[in-house]
Amino acid sequence: MPEVTPLSDAAADPFGTPLPIDTTVSRPRPGAILLEVDGEIDTLTAARLATGLDAVLDAGSAEDRAVVVDLSGVTFLASSGLAVLIHGARRVTERGARLHVVAATRAVSRPITVTGADTLFDTHADRDSALAAAVAPPVAPRALLHPPRE
Amino acid sequence: MSDAESLDGMSTVEVRTSATAALIPTIRAVASDLAARADFDLDAISDLRMAVDEACATLVDAADPTSQLQCRFLVRPERIRVHAEVQSAKPDTVLSTDTFGWRVLQTLADEVEVLHEPASPGRPATVGIRLDKTAGDVPR
Repeated sequence: MPEVTPLSDAAADPFGTPLPIDTTVSRPRPGAILLEVDGEIDTLTAARLATGLDAVLDAGSAEDRAVVVDLSGVTFLASSGLAVLIHGARRVTERGARLHVVAATRAVSRPITVTGADTLFDTHADRDSALAAAVAPPVAPRALLHPPRE
Repeated sequence: MSDAESLDGMSTVEVRTSATAALIPTIRAVASDLAARADFDLDAISDLRMAVDEACATLVDAADPTSQLQCRFLVRPERIRVHAEVQSAKPDTVLSTDTFGWRVLQTLADEVEVLHEPASPGRPATVGIRLDKTAGDVPR
């Protein structure tokens, strides 16, 4: 019986496929914080998504209230990953905002819609529209009080 | 109820691995490949891949560490039945079905069922999941 070390990337990867996920945090626009995720999100890798998302939400101050998770590079999304997104969405909702998720591929959009998770956060077909929606003022009267930046 | 007992027009594929989460990506890739070959639509392929992943992850959690994970695919032209099974960690291991993952599995598959098999002489206790998925959206 082959030895398998569950948490080792090499062991998770018997055929050379890049299974582990990568997470990258950036601030592409004022007021917006972006978490980019690549790879397959399953029971082994969901913890890394949780770590990345928690870090973004912990770092999110008043000026980083728009949170966008870009899953364009994700090729598989299991319920364990959906649970992480739903938990993150709840945290964002608690501070009066919405979590914005870029679900550009079927590998991501199908799990989100079939489980109804798209009622808990907003999904977008590309990053630009996600960022635009995320930094947009939430309601019209507030937009009058706080005009858009130049 | 079980017309799948008849063997006409059915191919069988069986994958057996150590019962470790690290090898589930291989099993779900097989599921995806078989669904594509059986002319499943793209949503149904995605659903089956995710359902098989979910079933296997649930079973690996309940498996004896030395167990194998046996996953059998019964492939018909527009329907796939999956039967995954592990040796239970304990003789009285019962799969919990009040989890988010189980609700997702029920949503993804057309039918899903837990199968507990008690130990018998020369055979350890097993726990399994059987699920059925058709090629396209069925009316609900």
